[in-house]
Amino acid sequence: MTVSTGTEAPVEQTGVALGRSLRVALVHGREEASRRAVAHLALASGAEIVARVRATDPRSFVEAAQALRDAKPDVVAIQGGAKDEGALAELLEALRLGCGAQRPMPRIFGLVDTRVAHGLRMHASPFEFERFGAPSEMVEALRDLRRGGNGEVVLRDAVIEDAARALATTTGANALAVDVTERSTSFVLASPDGRTEAAHLVPLGLGMGADHVVARASLDNVRRWLPWPIDAPALLERVFNRGRRPQGPATAEATVLLEMALAREAIAHALRDTAEAGLDVSAMRSAPSILITGRAASFPKSGQSLLVLVDGLEPSAVSTVFREPDEGPAERIAMVVSVIPRRPAKIRIVRASGRSVARVIPGSFGLVAMGADVEVAVNGAGVRGHGRSGELGVLIDARGRPLSLPERDGERIPAVARWHTALGATAEERTST
Amino acid sequence: MTWRRERWTADHPLPIGVTKRAQVGELVRAGDIIAAGAALAGALRVPGARRLGLSPSDLDRELRVPVGSDVVAGTVLARVGRRFARSVTAPIDGRLLHVTVDGDLYIAPIVDRWTVRATLDGTVARSDDAVVEIEGEAWCFQAAAAYGPDAIGELTLGVDGPDADLAPTRIDVRLAGRIIVGGARVSAEVITRAHACGVAGLVAGGVPPAGLRVVYGDTVTASGSPSRDDRPTVLCLMGFGSAVLPRAVYEPFAALAGARAAIHTASARLFVFSTADVGRAETPSPDVVMGEGPAAYAPVERAVADADRGDVDQEEPAQTDEELSPSPSDRSPSER
Repeated sequence: MTVSTGTEAPVEQTGVALGRSLRVALVHGREEASRRAVAHLALASGAEIVARVRATDPRSFVEAAQALRDAKPDVVAIQGGAKDEGALAELLEALRLGCGAQRPMPRIFGLVDTRVAHGLRMHASPFEFERFGAPSEMVEALRDLRRGGNGEVVLRDAVIEDAARALATTTGANALAVDVTERSTSFVLASPDGRTEAAHLVPLGLGMGADHVVARASLDNVRRWLPWPIDAPALLERVFNRGRRPQGPATAEATVLLEMALAREAIAHALRDTAEAGLDVSAMRSAPSILITGRAASFPKSGQSLLVLVDGLEPSAVSTVFREPDEGPAERIAMVVSVIPRRPAKIRIVRASGRSVARVIPGSFGLVAMGADVEVAVNGAGVRGHGRSGELGVLIDARGRPLSLPERDGERIPAVARWHTALGATAEERTST
Repeated sequence: MTWRRERWTADHPLPIGVTKRAQVGELVRAGDIIAAGAALAGALRVPGARRLGLSPSDLDRELRVPVGSDVVAGTVLARVGRRFARSVTAPIDGRLLHVTVDGDLYIAPIVDRWTVRATLDGTVARSDDAVVEIEGEAWCFQAAAAYGPDAIGELTLGVDGPDADLAPTRIDVRLAGRIIVGGARVSAEVITRAHACGVAGLVAGGVPPAGLRVVYGDTVTASGSPSRDDRPTVLCLMGFGSAVLPRAVYEPFAALAGARAAIHTASARLFVFSTADVGRAETPSPDVVMGEGPAAYAPVERAVADADRGDVDQEEPAQTDEELSPSPSDRSPSER
């Protein structure tokens, strides 16, 4: 990736990488907050979660030890309060039994208070135990491990976070970056003051992580997004073989549609994990600016990226959507207006050249042509906001939330095909429905 | 995707509860038991150092039974004092499994026994409670993915050519204990039948992932799933679906048939123990497009036989990289 430092400045070549895979086992206290905290740490650092053990884990001591041995963690992240100390100490004994002979030995990172850390450190022998006072310190330490100690490497996570931060600063409002790559799916919510909340899920993507999308979402849930019926075995074969060879950006329509289906489920499942880790998913869905990057931004048509975003993320307000492929400049593609009308309603659309009224019926989905990249304000039908239209115009999405697809093929396939057509995501001309 | 003869290492992860294991430097052959142990159920924690009035660091000195030993209920595990002796005894039959930092003891009942067999002829290079690593020389093919437990057996060709699929009818109990080369594809039916007949493992160019899901469950992924339980062993050489084996891959199978072989599922490798010369040691295989339709390579005899038969079943042209396979009766909206 090339990072430009300004219009006139020389271009600085920076090595951006996913970093080495880091396997993390999560050990946490009995409180739900503890589970969320440690999951948030793992997601923020882009580590792969290979085991989860709770202080009140119903598994026996031997089973917990075996699970930790099989997981082969690089790092064990521990979080818990004073009342969890005894149970966590017992889990550390299970770790000693399970991973005592592992080479290199797992390191233990604790996000616990000093007194608890003192107690746990004794039980952690012979593993290296490090206590962190703040989650951000532990996230940085975990990322350092992913960089393999090479300070020159810039992790892709950091680049995505910078992009979200820059967008939030520029627009003066919350901005969300959604990144889908071969083996990872990321969300970064940035606020104008520079704070970010990030979740980087590995392995969950369109190439090497595609089989994990199917394993998590089920084949039927991937298949439901395709605008025609397809053999389940043939689809599964395609998905399994995706990981065998590095793939460039998809160009053939069928491949693009498959990647779009996978990307929607990857985003939806990443969002679910993000919510379970206690991140503010409603703020992500209502972000006024949304940036799509990675493979999801590299589809041949911007309508394809937009469709993946609205189906996977299900935005809930008025958002301006940008996309930035890995090998191309960022572009503003559309403004999304998500409405949930119970009966036919009107939305007033105001722009410099005049105003118009769009009639919205429940379930409708389509673009209102607006002219390239104009400032637009909308209000009505329980929605109010403003943004810029981008290349495609204003997308009015009245399909409802949560988005549900008809069960029967006879109803679902025409609906999905209609949505594709509405955004010009297939070979056919774009039309409003 | 190449055959190579050189020195390899193979890790053999051990479950918890190891009793015996091969020592570093020991010579082993594929199939030899290199570790044995006990499968353990829920462990009991027994106060140790506290009961004896010792500091935890002193408990080791007073233990009468080494950690990892089998004990019966009432066995004295540790004891101090002479006239006013204090002791810790095993509350149940089982295994003295672990000593905690606090000086407590874990005893777990034994519910089963397990063994781990070598998958490589060679020398034990590392041996501890977690893994036995063997280093040795063999012919090796690095496959795409492997499923199930490690397998050891005689390599046997189950097909007549690199483009043939292994038919279920060719599997019977006479093939028990062998590793069968299944040509371009093995189906779920073949996998389950082979397992029922005691076949050690199956090797094929491709395996349909739908079949893998039937056998190994819906959570199976393209990265393989090594396991220890009693399941079929399958090695996908090229990928998933159907893959005609290129000449550089298939010919060595024909040359090595009859030799001892092993499938190491954790690394998705097939080791063959033979000094046979199967051609160049580093034969680069051509780029293989999965399921490219007609055979990329077929022996002359087979090609002639196929021409004579005329009504031979043609393999369905499989999908190319840029093409989904819709159901026969369905078309894309743009086609309609």
